[in-house]
Amino acid sequence: MKKRLWLSLSLFVIGAMVLAACGGAAATPTTAPTTAPVTSAPGATIAPTQPPAPTTAPTAAPTAAPSKPAVVVITFPQEPDNLNPLYTNMWFSTITHAFWLRGLWSIDDQGNAVPEIAAEIPTEANGGVADGGKTITIKLNPNAQWSDGTPITADDFVFTYQMVISPKNAVASAYPYKEQVESVEAKDEHTLVVKFKEPFAPWLTSLFASTVATGGVAVLPKHILEPVFEKDGTLDKADWNKKPTVGVGPFVFKEWESGGHILFVRNDKWFGPAPKVDQIFIRIVPDDASQIAAIKAGDTDIGTFLSFADAPDVESTGVAQITTDMAGFQEGWFLNMDPKTAHPALQDVRVRKAIALATDRFKITQDLLYGKTEPPATFWDSTQPYGDPSLKAYPYDPEQAKQLLDEAGWKDTNGDGIRDKDGKELKLRYITTDRQLRKDVQAVVQQMWAKVGIGADLVNFSSDVFFNTFGQNGPLYTGQSDIAEYSDSPSFPDPDVAYWLCSEIPSAENPEGTNGQHYCSKDLDALFAQQLTTADREARKAIFAKIQKIMYDDVVYIGLWRDPDVWSVNKRLTGVRFSGASPFWNVTDWTVSQ
Amino acid sequence: MVNYIIRRLVQAVPQLLIISVILFVLMQAFGDPLATLGARTPPRREDKERLRRQLGLDQPVYIQYLVWLVGNDWMKIDLDGDGVRETPGQRKGVLRGDWGTSLVTRTPVVDVIGERLPNTLLLMLTSEIIIIIVSLFVGMYSAIQQYSFFDNLVTSVSFVGYSMPIFLVALLFMYLFGVDFKRWGLPYLPTVGMFDPQAGRTPQQIALHMVLPLASLSVISIAAYSRYVRSSMLEVMSQDYIRTARAKGLREFLVVMRHALRNASLPFVTLIGLDLPFLLAGAVVTERIFAWPGMGRLFVDHTARSDYPVLMGILMLTAVAVIVFQILTDVTYSFLDPRIRIE
Repeated sequence: MKKRLWLSLSLFVIGAMVLAACGGAAATPTTAPTTAPVTSAPGATIAPTQPPAPTTAPTAAPTAAPSKPAVVVITFPQEPDNLNPLYTNMWFSTITHAFWLRGLWSIDDQGNAVPEIAAEIPTEANGGVADGGKTITIKLNPNAQWSDGTPITADDFVFTYQMVISPKNAVASAYPYKEQVESVEAKDEHTLVVKFKEPFAPWLTSLFASTVATGGVAVLPKHILEPVFEKDGTLDKADWNKKPTVGVGPFVFKEWESGGHILFVRNDKWFGPAPKVDQIFIRIVPDDASQIAAIKAGDTDIGTFLSFADAPDVESTGVAQITTDMAGFQEGWFLNMDPKTAHPALQDVRVRKAIALATDRFKITQDLLYGKTEPPATFWDSTQPYGDPSLKAYPYDPEQAKQLLDEAGWKDTNGDGIRDKDGKELKLRYITTDRQLRKDVQAVVQQMWAKVGIGADLVNFSSDVFFNTFGQNGPLYTGQSDIAEYSDSPSFPDPDVAYWLCSEIPSAENPEGTNGQHYCSKDLDALFAQQLTTADREARKAIFAKIQKIMYDDVVYIGLWRDPDVWSVNKRLTGVRFSGASPFWNVTDWTVSQ
Repeated sequence: MVNYIIRRLVQAVPQLLIISVILFVLMQAFGDPLATLGARTPPRREDKERLRRQLGLDQPVYIQYLVWLVGNDWMKIDLDGDGVRETPGQRKGVLRGDWGTSLVTRTPVVDVIGERLPNTLLLMLTSEIIIIIVSLFVGMYSAIQQYSFFDNLVTSVSFVGYSMPIFLVALLFMYLFGVDFKRWGLPYLPTVGMFDPQAGRTPQQIALHMVLPLASLSVISIAAYSRYVRSSMLEVMSQDYIRTARAKGLREFLVVMRHALRNASLPFVTLIGLDLPFLLAGAVVTERIFAWPGMGRLFVDHTARSDYPVLMGILMLTAVAVIVFQILTDVTYSFLDPRIRIE
């Protein structure tokens, strides 16, 4: 009786293991042992002697034949929600496009467009940009083909456009196709013509491009997805969303195990430069400390979404190095200037300026961010070339801050250490998410402000509640704060942003509005409208210089620090050059040393 | 007995309905599924307005619940935002086996859960088996050899183990056996995931990658469970019928296994009965730290995005499991203790 129980239990466990092992299909038998990941660690020749694992023994042998496939392992702390660009706004999904779904062009680490499916980048000189920027004509590479050998034609792009704007598809973002684009037409098989209602300056970064910009819809394979749309009436549930086995890029999708990994293998039909590595294996590792352990153990080649605090620890092991790229993000303060909900003192620009002067942002970046970054002057400092270098971040000057507050009439009349005026204490509600670093900043700032007589109520929300809309009673948009801290960017790599437009002020009639600051300036609105239709880069830079000057003088936004993407790269992997707009754009240059 | 089981199952139906209403209403207290869409910048206003309508999130809560329960294929919905209901709905509702579509992955909830369940069961059942066997052995041995060196050792170790938070144990194991052992040139264990991509998804690889998560899961529970076994064994060992069994000259092994253990196991069975349904829900912390693709992480990830169809699916699955295992526990009682009769 007992024996049988034991036997059946052990059988069950073995059975479960086999089941789990079969779950991932026949993905990796071809992935036989290769370049031991241990070669970069001191204990290189030690084979793991845990439970008998014959397949792992040759792995550790330094004599692995060079013909074995080379796998690059990347860890992601968040799992992509959907691989179809229509259905995701997630950065972790769009950055994979460089492997398997290239658009018309990518943006390199210098900010220049590099043709992918397009034969050349449209310019006024080559006739690609006409009508003052209203019409863009794109010549496609005649050799371009999908990973199943089907040629890529202008019809694929027309189909992609139709799918984005179809009400039958609940797409994540229809920008800019729904509001700004007038038509997308195929002039001939290899010529695509896009017409905008007004000249649309951000076309290069958001139009069928492989960038991380909102929308980020590169292209969809018409020959695969059109039959699905005709059959189901929508693409919402297409198999391709989860298993995009046909794509266009140096690699092609192989398998995705929910919560586990996503595997891309070499695409033999890729018409661009051939990659030097054979497979890209993305592993989902949600815990930050575990990712650091994996980096230090050499179990991952590229670590993503690291924080500055991790850098010294990772670099000390000598296994990997830390690199950064600017992707437009900056941690900063969004000041609420709504006369109805905000603290009355924030209506006065002198008080807003005093807040900037009373905060030693240079000490914060030095102490809490290990001196790896610094405070920006404007919202566009990390979105070059649009940041205005002539503006400098407000210095730390508590004396001047006190003077400004005195001038504005805020004085400590009741001796409680906090300034007041007409019976109202100068105590500001300072909200942010519950991330530890932000809580630390809050605590430090509270002390700095106390020195000049500004009080602070510190409040934290979980990030899903923090960004709730006005309609969902979100704290940012319903005026539950005076100062809100979070990291944000313009429509990087494009500088366009809507956060300070009068039309975006949230209200019962406009419950999804994004201008939680309630800042409304006719001059600024006009400049924002003007830059959006100014296709010429230099002219646009000049408009952004004016925008930044207004926002700087009026202290609308106070940047805390430039917030670049922080990566780790194992030393066995070389040739990696991250670009903020398409991080893995040069994957074909990557090499793995044995 | 059969009547009893049927009666309990029939009772479960209104129970589950009430649970589902409560959960659905509580779900509204979570954040807005469209707040960030998982992106690094909040979505554009136009996109949020459109998606709220297309996904049916603009409807009142009771309509959303009705759609969840009975579907919307009997009515028309407005997809293009002109205020006219033009498109027939496609959802069938939970009562007809349609658990809806995840707001995050846009795939059916059944698939989302089905992909994770085997991984979680593999990890959790294996650890539960280890926990039961080891804690039975340790608990019984400490009870029989009360106040021996072994008993004192186990007691002290249990208290240390029981007071350790699991994330600490897990990270400690990972850094020691995964990172430091490798650096010192000792045999080491892998840090994260289910297998090494270069070795492939083989049973050996999975077994190797399970060692650390299993150890972390087991250590703490063994510490607690062996205390339960020890105390109930101690209580039973002093009973008259044990003395009788010994008096008839029965071998000590049989006395312990047949007479003592069977009677001492009732509290332990209750404990396991309460535990088993939650195995389905997975181990949130352990799965997260070791990047094990299981249910616990699924729940946390989808909570962060307020994906209520998936959350409802997981919670209802757990609710059903609790009810089923309660019935099973009651049935087991009657086998273990003939004094308990089920009518």
